Amino acid sequence: MAAVNWRTINIDALDPDSPANFDLSTLTPAVAPVSTADVQSLATQIRQLLRGGDNEGALRGALENPPYGADERGKDIHLATVIEILQSIRQSDMSPILSRIYQSEGGTEALDVLMKYVYKGMAQSNAAPPAKHITPQATGFSQIHSRGTGEGGGQAMSVLLSWHEKVVEIAGPGCIVRVMTDRRTV
Amino acid sequence: MAPEVHHLFNHPIADHSFSADRQTLAVARENNVELYGKTGGKFQLKDELTGHDKLVTGVDIAPRSGKIVTCSQDRNAYVWEPSPEGWKPTLVLLRINRAATCVRWAPSETKFAVGSGARLIPVCYFEEEDNWWVSKHLKKPIRSTITTVSWHPNSVLLAAGSTDGHARVFSSFVKGVDARPEPSVWGERLPFNTVCGEFLNNTAGWVHSVAFSPSGNALAFAAHDSSVTVVYPSAPEQAPRAVLSVSTQLLPFMSLLWSSETEIIAAGYDCEAYRLQGNEQGWQLAGSLESEGRPGIQDQREESALNMFRQMDLKGKTTDDTKLKTVHQNTISTIRSFNESGGTVRKLSSNGVDGRVVVWTI
Repeated sequence: MAAVNWRTINIDALDPDSPANFDLSTLTPAVAPVSTADVQSLATQIRQLLRGGDNEGALRGALENPPYGADERGKDIHLATVIEILQSIRQSDMSPILSRIYQSEGGTEALDVLMKYVYKGMAQSNAAPPAKHITPQATGFSQIHSRGTGEGGGQAMSVLLSWHEKVVEIAGPGCIVRVMTDRRTV
Repeated sequence: MAPEVHHLFNHPIADHSFSADRQTLAVARENNVELYGKTGGKFQLKDELTGHDKLVTGVDIAPRSGKIVTCSQDRNAYVWEPSPEGWKPTLVLLRINRAATCVRWAPSETKFAVGSGARLIPVCYFEEEDNWWVSKHLKKPIRSTITTVSWHPNSVLLAAGSTDGHARVFSSFVKGVDARPEPSVWGERLPFNTVCGEFLNNTAGWVHSVAFSPSGNALAFAAHDSSVTVVYPSAPEQAPRAVLSVSTQLLPFMSLLWSSETEIIAAGYDCEAYRLQGNEQGWQLAGSLESEGRPGIQDQREESALNMFRQMDLKGKTTDDTKLKTVHQNTISTIRSFNESGGTVRKLSSNGVDGRVVVWTI
């Protein structure tokens, strides 16, 4: 007994009232589950709008129906859809589209969702390419290498960065804070 | 009217409170509470309340009795009473195993509530028989740290904001201390720990501040998602009449104050105070309190050429841009009513991480 360092005992595990012992999801707003098939069909609809040249409608459609309740695969599909829309909108059109969305009903919410996808996209375009052709290294420093080979994400990243700038211009730092705060993730 | 700025020291102020005559100011500084007295237009350090051995997180002066209650991260609260030998502390039995985060006297001044990291709220009252402040715990259904508490004018209902993202309204009715409250929109029969309302906004960000409207018939809370949510309850056990959320472009608000039934003042990480106006139909941001002439920054003086080149040489730039354009130079942590007339707040006081206490005219 004497050998036990009492400072390292996890007292939360021993306390029945402790937050470590209840399901945290009870604290968050309920989200309706969304099946991957639904996300897929939404993606097809949005692509049709995009092909028809209605970029703004496509973006609005994608941002108004974020699949908070979908599984990882569903979320990835929707992310790919949003990124595709973002890449197909010209730089000069960004600000007008964003301010129109912001001023419409539920616009703040839509831009918050867009910001979530911008950040998620940034996280992805860094991680995706090295996953394909980097062999795990014994040193565990694969992070450093992935920077160099992450060039493939460079173009997507520059698009996302300019979207980021434009969204902050319109929705303010408040929308960044909301991305960090929101328990509903994309 | 220009705000009255009192730069007390270069250290964060966690909380402040003025005495009823507004001549004494108590501020929480590190492990102590400092009492400042007004001499001329300035506040001078007069006394120090020492006793806590960790950061003091809350201080509140009861307006009528003049008693001061303080709470700290050392898990204790003291009630300080004036005596011929100076301020005399009485320890309060909080029975919590985490830090105390905030404290407020009830309007009746017979009770006070302490927020804590132990997922409960000790409601404290004086036990005549034992000559001792004791507490009763509001416990269910709190799931995380209480960051803020606020009293209803009837001294029975208590609003609390928590890091679990909920703003809740509890009954803190203590037999023998409180008179039976009038039925209100929040409830009719109110035994201790009745949950009269539990509110959550869409993002479920943690709550920094809660406040009842002057009538007590509406509740506002500010969360870390830069929003202010106003709730209008309809009747006990029923869904509220209206829940209105304003998502702002600003950084999150730390403190709220209803200046009237249709106006809320909010301040926080943007270092300035903002007005929100509205009613049951909707609320919106209505600009900054500072917009009418910022007194904190003097007009750009005509620089001499020598001075300009000297600045460029020393700092690589001609103007000193290390000061914010706001009066507060860092986050505002608490705002409180300073002067009221006819049910409307005319002046408010704010304190910030920059060591300033500022009195504003609304």
